[in-house]
Order: sequence, then structure tokens, then C-alpha cells
Amino acid sequence: MSFEALRALVQGWAGAGLLPAGLTHGFLVNALLSGLVIGPVLGGLGTLVVTKRLAFFSEAVGHAALTGVAIGILVGEPYTGPYASLFGYCLLFALLVNYTRNRSNLTADTLIGVFLSVSLALGASLLLILASRVNIHILENVLFGSVLTVDDRDLTVLLVVALGVTALMLPLFNRLLLASFNPALARVRGVPVKGLDYLFIVLVTVVTVASVKIIGAILVGALLVIPAAAARVVASSLRGFFLLSVAFASVAAVAGILLPVQLALPVPSGGAIILAAGLLFLGALLARLFMKGEEG
Amino acid sequence: MTGPAILFDAVDLTLGRTVILDGVSLRVAAGTVHALVGPNGGGKSSLIRALLGQAPHRGTIRLDWPGDGPGTVAYVPQSVEFDRGLPLTVEDFLAVLCQRRPAFLGPDRRINYGAALDRVGMAGKARRRFGALSGGERQRVLLAQALIPAPDLIVLDEPMTALDEAGIAIFKTLLAELSAAGTTILWVEHDLAQVRRLATRVTGLNRRVLFDGHPMEMLSPERVFDLFSAVPRRAGAERIAS
Repeated sequence: MSFEALRALVQGWAGAGLLPAGLTHGFLVNALLSGLVIGPVLGGLGTLVVTKRLAFFSEAVGHAALTGVAIGILVGEPYTGPYASLFGYCLLFALLVNYTRNRSNLTADTLIGVFLSVSLALGASLLLILASRVNIHILENVLFGSVLTVDDRDLTVLLVVALGVTALMLPLFNRLLLASFNPALARVRGVPVKGLDYLFIVLVTVVTVASVKIIGAILVGALLVIPAAAARVVASSLRGFFLLSVAFASVAAVAGILLPVQLALPVPSGGAIILAAGLLFLGALLARLFMKGEEG
Repeated sequence: MTGPAILFDAVDLTLGRTVILDGVSLRVAAGTVHALVGPNGGGKSSLIRALLGQAPHRGTIRLDWPGDGPGTVAYVPQSVEFDRGLPLTVEDFLAVLCQRRPAFLGPDRRINYGAALDRVGMAGKARRRFGALSGGERQRVLLAQALIPAPDLIVLDEPMTALDEAGIAIFKTLLAELSAAGTTILWVEHDLAQVRRLATRVTGLNRRVLFDGHPMEMLSPERVFDLFSAVPRRAGAERIAS
């Protein structure tokens, strides 16, 4: 089924009153589809990000997207989707961070802080140079996400990335986790620790970049972290941790896309998604406190 | 299949300007319980890392497997680094280590995790949170993972450090069972009394091999004192002297 046919189907259901009225708008259906595609993937991958203590790294990759967009516009890519520069720059950024982390005596957070600052400085400088060439307000969409700008090409990119990442993440889930517990034990168990380390960095980066359009560069890393953090607070097993994280990320993505339209709130989609995730996190914390109270 | 023999031949390991291992040559016979003893920083764990292919070294390390191909190698580290608050049960932990199917989908029913936990006295604790276990219980779970699948060579890095009396008794039984099955056991240990009781051979290592032979003959007070004072390491010498 093509995106067009799927869009028509959802719009038809919305017109018949089976779905929220806002979904009669094609652009909102696109945004909803992208949220449904990327939410579960971000939630699932987020459990590994949190376990491997890479929350700051995922934030940094998201922020690097800003510079990727600036480079894209500079080299003549369309400002609505400079994917070559986005993927190229963010992958380079992520791989450089990881390569240097393995070869310096700096802690990961210090190193990421250095790379992030330099990358943002580069991005800000390029954007000032570009200020005369594009409407700088368009970049607000890049920073905070927008439901208005998701087109069929973005959906295709998201779908390909989501399927690719899922196809790699699920069979390698145990090995990715084990590598962070004890690299020596992992190697004895046949896990190529360094190779998987780089692969994981690449997975996080491509998911992050693919999600920038809908969540925004500033906030995209948060959807990798907050749902998993909320799930970690209330789960008592790995199954609960993973499934709750997927559920929280999906709910936050859908709620963040639909609620501002339904309630006519002037909030960017990225902000709304992360606020929804934040509320879930708060709920999880309260549930945890309540459960502890019950335990006495 | 019984375990392999292991040959270390002139193994050198240098990190920066520090010589960790200097021409270490020794042979671990197949199916024996071979203990490595020595002071902290004497190179015991580095030799294990070199054996497991995780430390760049010069010289030769060869495993002579008795059958057509290599068998199963198991490793019990001193500890695992992880977030203690992680929602990970004992069964989840074993599933992460021992199965391909994603651990969050539950344990692979073809693998008998219960039997392995039973052997280390952790039956009935499969659903306990791994991070909430005591150090001794975690060490037992690390021993349990090494039993899946049944090992032909098992490398133990100070496995008794966190064990209580009951845990030590279980460890002794396990060692006897593995030894009876022909498993080669390479065992880094600081408790020399246990090495005297349980090992079939012992190597004293402090950068170089200082002695190698039967524990009752090798672990005389003079040799032990030499081992721990060959390179001044006051803390180690004091511990033995006391």
C-alpha cells in the first residue's frame, strides 16, 4: 500500500468520525505515521542507550544535526530535507567521538562535551553565513520539529531506517547489552565488542537523524532517553523495561503530534512529544513512590 | 570432550613502559586444576587476558584441543560492571549471556537455566533482581553462566573473593565436578590455603614465573615470601606474613 493510499484511508476514517477530526489533514496523517514508525524504535533502542549510559551521546548527536542541516544548505541541498549532509555529518561526528573515546584518557562526558560545543559553534557560524540565503525561521522547524513539513520522502527515510535498525537491533540485543556488562566476558562469548560498539553508535545516529524532521534537533535525543528512563523506574524485569519503553515512546510520539492540533495549542511537535514523554516519566516516578509506599 | 592443554611460551606483555609479563613460559595440562598465584599487579589477570585474546602480547599461547576442533571456553570474571538499579532479573542476566533470542522476550526454554542455578545454590532465585543480590550471590550467578554450555576450558579470575562459607562449599563441589568431567581449569586465586587444598598444580607469577609445580611442594612459606617480595610489594608481603 502506498503512502497516498494509506493517507486517503486514514483521512476517510477521520472524515467518518472514527478517528480524531484533525486527521482529515494529510500533513497530520504523515506526522502521525512517522510517529508510529519511529516511536517504538526510539523506545526500544532507548533501553540500550540508558543501559550503556549513552544518554548524553544521543543528545549530542541530535544537536549535531543542526550543523548537518547548515552544511546541507551551504552545499545546495534542499533545506526541507538535506539528508546527505545530515547523515554524513552526524555519522562523522558520532564515529569521531567514539574513535577518540577509545584512544584518549578523557571520560566520555568530557569528550562529548568538547565535540558538542565545537560542533554547535560550527553550526551557529554557518547559519549566520546562511542567514542571507534562506529564511532563518525555517530553521525553527529543524530545531524543534514540525508536523507541517513531513512529506513522502521523509516517511520513506523513516521507514527504511526504522526497519533497518529493528532488523539489526533485535537479533543483536543481547550482545549489545553484554558488551556493556563485561567486555572480556562478552569476547569469550564470541561478541565482537568493538565492532558492535561502532554499530550501536551508527544505529543511534541514523535513528536520531531520521527523527529530526518530526522531533527537532534540540529534542530528538530526549525521546531516546526519557521513555527508557521512565520504564526503568517502574519495570522489574528486562521484558517490562523494553516493552514499557516502547509503549511510552509510542504514546508520547502520538500524543505529541495529535494533541496540539486537537487542542489548538501553538506548540511545535517536538516540544509536545517531549512534554508528553516528560509527563509519562513523572507518572512513572509517582507510581514508583506509590509502590514503595505500599511496600512500607 | 576433555579440556585442552595450554602452552604459554615466552609470553611478553608491555603496557606503555611497564613490563607486565616477562618471558612467561608454562604448560597447563589437560583436565587439571591449575592455579595462578602472585601479588596484585603481578600479571595474573593480564596472562588470562592474553589467553583470551584480549591483550596484545609477544610469544606464543597455544590451546591443544583433544578433538577435531576447539571446544567450549568459559570465563568467570571477578565482577561485572552494570547499573545496580537496572530492571534485570537473574534469569534475564543469564539469558543475555547464553541465548541469541532477545532476553526481553524471556528465557529460551531449550536452555536449562534452572539446573545451572541449582548447581550454584541459587535455585528459586531466578526472578530476583540481579542488582539486588549480595556480592556472593552475584558471584554464584557468574559461576552459573560459565556452566552454560558445559565448558571444556574454564578460566576463573578470583572467583572466591566475594563468596561466603556456603558459597565456598558450593565452589569446591563445582570444581570437583568439573575436574571429574575432564574440564581444564585455569584458576587465578589469592587464597593460598584453598589453592593447596583444591589445585592439582600451581604457578607463582610475578611478572615472571617464579615457581611451577604441585601446590603442597611449591607453596612453602619461603617460596611464597619470595613470590610476594620479588618486586617490592609491601601490602602483598604483609598479607602473607600475617
